[in-house]
Amino acid sequence: MENVSQDQAKNNQIRWRSAAEQKTYSSKLVEALRHVRRSSPPDNVSSRGRAVREKADKVLAIAAKGRMRWSRAILKKRLKLRLSNHKKAKDRSKLAAAGNSRRKNLKIEVPKKKRLRPLQRRVRVLGRLVPGCRKLSLPNLLEEVTDYIAALEMQVRAMATLTELLTGANAVAGNVAESSNRLEISRQLEHPPQS
Amino acid sequence: MKPIGGIEVRSMNYSHKNVDIGVQAYQLGEEFQMLMAGPPPTGNSFTALLELPANQAMELLHSPGAADSPTELPLKRHHNMSHRSARNHPHDCAPAFPSNAALNEGATKYSGISTAAAFGGGGQDSPESSSSANAMKVKSEPMDSGSSPNSLPHTSNPTVASKNEKHTKRKEREKGKATNKKNKTAANDNSKEGERLPYVHVRARRGQATNSHSLAERARREKINARMKLLQELVPGCSKISGTALVLDEIINHVHSLQRKVEFLSMRLAAVNPRIDFNLDSLFTAGNGSVLESNFPSMVMPLMWPDIQMLGNEQECQQQWHLGSVNQPVWTRQEGHQNLIISENSLLSYDSPANSVSLHSSQQKMEI
Repeated sequence: MENVSQDQAKNNQIRWRSAAEQKTYSSKLVEALRHVRRSSPPDNVSSRGRAVREKADKVLAIAAKGRMRWSRAILKKRLKLRLSNHKKAKDRSKLAAAGNSRRKNLKIEVPKKKRLRPLQRRVRVLGRLVPGCRKLSLPNLLEEVTDYIAALEMQVRAMATLTELLTGANAVAGNVAESSNRLEISRQLEHPPQS
Repeated sequence: MKPIGGIEVRSMNYSHKNVDIGVQAYQLGEEFQMLMAGPPPTGNSFTALLELPANQAMELLHSPGAADSPTELPLKRHHNMSHRSARNHPHDCAPAFPSNAALNEGATKYSGISTAAAFGGGGQDSPESSSSANAMKVKSEPMDSGSSPNSLPHTSNPTVASKNEKHTKRKEREKGKATNKKNKTAANDNSKEGERLPYVHVRARRGQATNSHSLAERARREKINARMKLLQELVPGCSKISGTALVLDEIINHVHSLQRKVEFLSMRLAAVNPRIDFNLDSLFTAGNGSVLESNFPSMVMPLMWPDIQMLGNEQECQQQWHLGSVNQPVWTRQEGHQNLIISENSLLSYDSPANSVSLHSSQQKMEI
């Protein structure tokens, strides 16, 4: 029956909900964040934010172990970026700008005024939201979306916990340390401490 | 006659999850004999089954599979292997369902007929097997004259196939709609989900159009509906909404909001990032309770060592590594991650470059 697909879906969901998975993801994410911290230019907040986002997505895709199409698409995107840096950087900046504006309206107006039925329109939108699933048929797309939503929820949970931990640590540090050393440390930082 | 025997064979095999695809066509003859000598009371004979109502026939089909399996299974397995060898080589070592799917695909010649549908419910195995058996009939060498009721569908006779179709159709009509639908989706999903095969076996429900196009469409729609149901459970607040378009809207909103949350959190992480230090390893191992503890010493140590200069472009974590190696007793407070930190300290020296620091930390992380 549908038991096969349902079981697969349920297994996937269980996988993304497990604490072990979140822990694995979080630790990998921390390691990736260290790289970002070291490698990215310290003065540009937004680029660093984007780099963090990309790293988070990449780690998420790795955590998916490439089983789903969206994870493979994310990894492919990263690979392409690495291979041809300059061109892609320009293109991506363009795309990012376009993508940001696109994100604002969920109902995409097709310039060709195609007679897309509302259902089909929504399917297209959904395909664009999930990476790598633009031209996917509806049943496969729904499967990808199911897994993608579960993975995103885990990503949000992990990152929220992480930021909580870090900001909590920062608060403690802010209370305790008012020393020259801390100033020396902050010299290395891109942003002054919150205190 | 034959398909029932074939069905029975298949059901027994699948019930035991034995799917070995090999070429043993020549054993069929002997096994045919043995099959024919099988006990009629178990309902193996096709004619016996025909006289029964569909449900009882189904039960009979499956109970022998459960009961008589140890003795007859080896025989049946050979049959199945020989059957499948003609068609489904790439599907060996697959679990029962995918093998069913493979066989289903093999039986596409007799499209529209998933004889499994005729036997509903747990008879998923049997229908597909019988349909595949039908296909095998054409492909494999005729082993029997096809007169015996228990002979497997090796006897390639399209007429027999059509006869089987009629029988299964009749049984189909006798059954309720629910089982038909189940079987159909089972067949479909087996063929689709299990192996992603191009063919979908659909059964016409009672009182519905039997056009092949509408059948395929119906199968597709049901697949879509099944997945939508899963999504509705996943997305909060979707179960009340009826209508695919609105549900899709909700899903889009949810995905979009999740992506925005990730974006927002990543910005926050980028801002907080400078504070990341090696304590995170211990944080993850020991849990949140130790956050304050672990961070206190790391921040206190700089106070105690004001004249330690930052070397080159080292990061503050490295400084804390240095300090940590000196202030070892400070760390012993934290029993939870004591081992971790002490081992970390032991790995380091005062002059350890940033690379080795990160290397060690990553090693620690991997050990976690």
